[in-house]
Amino acid sequence: MNSTSVARNVFLCVAAVFIASCGTATFTKSGSDATIESLRSFHLAFIDEFAVPGKKFNATAFNAKVNEGNAKFQQAIANDQFTARRPVFVDLKAQFDADAAHIKSKASRGKVTPALASEMKKDVNKIYDHALGR
Amino acid sequence: MPSGGKKKRKKPSRKKSELDSALDKVGDESAAAAIKEFQDLLGEAKGDTSELIRQNAEELERRLVLLKKRKIDKEDFDYFVENQKRDLRVFVDSQPAQDQERAEKLTLHVLEIAVTKVVPLLIMAI
Repeated sequence: MNSTSVARNVFLCVAAVFIASCGTATFTKSGSDATIESLRSFHLAFIDEFAVPGKKFNATAFNAKVNEGNAKFQQAIANDQFTARRPVFVDLKAQFDADAAHIKSKASRGKVTPALASEMKKDVNKIYDHALGR
Repeated sequence: MPSGGKKKRKKPSRKKSELDSALDKVGDESAAAAIKEFQDLLGEAKGDTSELIRQNAEELERRLVLLKKRKIDKEDFDYFVENQKRDLRVFVDSQPAQDQERAEKLTLHVLEIAVTKVVPLLIMAI
């Protein structure tokens, strides 16, 4: 084996490793994107369920759903393979916590308006779009 | 979403918005300067080339109108402003150093004027 063929083999190996790692990164990122979309759906459904004008506030159901949300976000933070995304998941959880606190404060006093729910969902969609780099 | 570099800026629209009309009816002379500064900055932000700056200005304007019409209350308004600020701090910090001051003026500073000067006048006028 002369030096040219050694260099060629080394180049091919490096290229193969690079292509494989790109594939893994893409796969990991698409999995992370799917998790973000799943969290978005949960977050929007949470607002639809509890930020309803005139609806009697059910503290038990509310706390159960908040706990479910906390578990989902914690799991997403712990399990995400695309480590660059971890701070993004932390930000999304902070938004969920803030939304839950505001909804609780308003719904428990019967002060939810249609505009509040609508604007909240706009903010949720915006932060998730930013999380996905859109 | 960088807004960096030298970009053409759209001229702020001359047409009076619903918010402009509401603001024209409130306040005395001492408030006039603050309102004028707010309207100028909001107009500039709405015509900016950065989508995030435009979006922030449009959200702020829409929510001030909702507050004026009592479709949201001050608690809701303050809550949404905090959401906007959280989002914008990351944006401002991600701008090139030479663009940060302008980005901050058209985003966080506009929100600050809205909360401290415009909202109290709007609420008094309700």
